[in-house]
Amino acid sequence: MADKTLNAIGKKCPMPVLMTKKELKNMSSGQTLELVVDDKGALKDVPALISKTGDSILETKEGENQITFMIKKA
Amino acid sequence: MGETINFIVKDKSFEKFAMMMLLGTTADAMDTKTNFFFTFWGLKLLTKKFKPKVAGMPFPMKGMAAGMFKKKMATFGIEDPWGMIKDAVENGNMKLFPCQMTMDLMGIKREDLIDIVEEPVGAATFLEMSEGGKIVSL
Repeated sequence: MADKTLNAIGKKCPMPVLMTKKELKNMSSGQTLELVVDDKGALKDVPALISKTGDSILETKEGENQITFMIKKA
Repeated sequence: MGETINFIVKDKSFEKFAMMMLLGTTADAMDTKTNFFFTFWGLKLLTKKFKPKVAGMPFPMKGMAAGMFKKKMATFGIEDPWGMIKDAVENGNMKLFPCQMTMDLMGIKREDLIDIVEEPVGAATFLEMSEGGKIVSL
């Protein structure tokens, strides 16, 4: 289980990225965030964000209608 | 950290406003600094109560299209574009620079501009600011 879950279903670029950043800002080091999105662009945009913030993506699950990222705060 | 991208905004269209807003706020999330230099008609975007219109629409629909785009973007989660810009500016990553010469040319005063802009600058200041970095013209 993740420490926090962020539902960004229905949100489009760049909102999943902005919402993820905002959520990560309020978390402490080592905590995990589960991010659920349905914007296909997020598949590339979220890793691009995480490569900049220095946090890490532990897992990416691509479902039929949604993508789930497990992110660990650095 | 550390990268800065410099943008020149020279048009007052809804499209240019949206590009400025999306790139500046996303860059803020990515800890990338952005300087936006508003010159010629682009400066209008920083004046109080200005409502940009959609340049890509035929004449009678330009204003209406802006309202339609705004509503559609709100359903994407982009509900308060200026609020998002304000956050990025307050985080210190996004800076909005009015062009001093354009202000003089068009008779736009400091008090006509929204509150979150930086002090007006000239061409030399912008070029010095962006020396060695990236410059993108919107």
